[in-house]
Amino acid sequence: MVFNSLNFAVFLLLVFILYWFVFKKNAKTQNILLLVASIVFYCMADWKFIFLLAASGFINFYLAKFIAQKKEGKIRSLFFFSGIILNVGLLLYFKYFNFFIQSFVTLFNYSGAGISFTPFHILLPLGISFFTFQMIGYLIDVNNDEIEPTGDLLGFCTYLAYFPKILSGPIERVQKFLPQIQKKREFDYGMAVDGLREILWGLFKKMVIADNCAEIANTIFNSSAESTLYSGSTLVLGALFYTIQIYCDFSGYSDMACGISKLFNIRIVNNFAFPFFSTNIRDFWKKWHISLTSWMMDYIFTPLSFILRKYKKTGLIISILLTFLLVGLWHGANWTFIVFGLLNGFYFIPQILKGSMNKNKIVVKGRLTTLLKEFFGMFGLFILISLTAVFFRAENIGHATKYFHDMLSGLIYSWGYVQTFNLILSQIVLLGVIIIFFIIEWLGREQEYAIAQLGLKWKRPLRWAMYFAIIFAIIFAIVILGGKEQQFVYFQF
Amino acid sequence: MEKVEILEKVRQILITVLKHEKFEMRDDLTASDVDGWDSLTHMEIITEIETEFNIKFRLKELNKLKNMATLIELIQSKL
Repeated sequence: MVFNSLNFAVFLLLVFILYWFVFKKNAKTQNILLLVASIVFYCMADWKFIFLLAASGFINFYLAKFIAQKKEGKIRSLFFFSGIILNVGLLLYFKYFNFFIQSFVTLFNYSGAGISFTPFHILLPLGISFFTFQMIGYLIDVNNDEIEPTGDLLGFCTYLAYFPKILSGPIERVQKFLPQIQKKREFDYGMAVDGLREILWGLFKKMVIADNCAEIANTIFNSSAESTLYSGSTLVLGALFYTIQIYCDFSGYSDMACGISKLFNIRIVNNFAFPFFSTNIRDFWKKWHISLTSWMMDYIFTPLSFILRKYKKTGLIISILLTFLLVGLWHGANWTFIVFGLLNGFYFIPQILKGSMNKNKIVVKGRLTTLLKEFFGMFGLFILISLTAVFFRAENIGHATKYFHDMLSGLIYSWGYVQTFNLILSQIVLLGVIIIFFIIEWLGREQEYAIAQLGLKWKRPLRWAMYFAIIFAIIFAIVILGGKEQQFVYFQF
Repeated sequence: MEKVEILEKVRQILITVLKHEKFEMRDDLTASDVDGWDSLTHMEIITEIETEFNIKFRLKELNKLKNMATLIELIQSKL
């Protein structure tokens, strides 16, 4: 049951009415409803693994209590490392078992071993990459005495299974979420309206931009695996369309998750902060998939760089490369994701060697215009990210290398710009919409989401005209695509 | 060592690592208040502090730091 479906709209309406009119008595009844709704939501997506989710909740809840009850020592460490191994083990088994075995077999076969391996049929529980990371973070924070373990089992299970975030994040921290649901929520009209606006914007990003870009990107990428139908410049365009697709797909989903949560007066972390307006890789990763990057920096990079601190900049470089290798691997069991992660890690090296120079800021805050230098910085970074995204999209390393080979040889040796120009002409409406979209994002770059403040000071009819325009664009996109709905990209993780 | 002396040494370390002086050394100063003080530069700063004061931190101690005041207290406790 995806967010942009009629089924989900009915489900959400039902839960909303029950939450505010029937189960409104106190925090406990509200949480019971949210938990039941979340279980129903998860079962409708994938009922087979609901018991795994439940077991994860119970085990981690009690493990955290056991850890906190013991002083530092062997028993405490035993509970802690058991928890880590259990959660990581789940991920390794369901997500990476076949990949690691296949990789070892391939390695042995290079020496002529001649081993064959038939992958096991292992189903991937939905949301496993997200909820296991939440549990690992929780256990680490308790073990480090940064937080007390909660004694609220209902609240904890609600936090774990919470339907707006269970399938594709954000990777929420328990200390930010739990306090919100441990008190009774009162209906906040302003927050609910803000939530609806954010849902609308997320739907627009997903259904108007992401799904339309996906049509083009899929055609180019799928064809490029076996043939050389497309010119070098068209392959570049394919990478650009894919990057816009994945940004609008995932940030659109995140907007919807945040907006849905606001309807229940609960705030979850925003996963994107206009990353394409960054002028360097460090800023970019502070604004892209924020919950994952901050998780990796807090629980992987910081401890690693602490252990390696005597090696100074070399230690930092090793730490960032290993961290981003894991960022890549988190996305999927494929060497393409590992290469994707490592490349992003390598991009940090010049900044690490040069030393701190970049401000954690919103580009040209408070000004409508930008310096030419920063514009080219943003554009250059966008191109770099798009080219790196080829590894993210490619089926395997062979596909990615063929893509780059065809792209480069096409750009250097053969003139296929007519093909690219015709493609641009055929997508002129979409490109126009994308340009308008990025203008709106630019104007709203200091807000929580692009249209957070847009139209709030307008007269009501004009504001409603804006809503209708966005809704019309969404319906138009559905009609044009003729039902070719694209699954959310991050559901596969 | 006096708190004032520790504060000044830490201030110089921040200037050296972050390459600017656009911050005020106050008790409630946090990393998010200072341009460029993030995960990447944090460990550089910590390493320089350890070298300057000839002390060793534990990771758990660093994770519990809330602001400049708690950092100074931690340094003082190790001197």
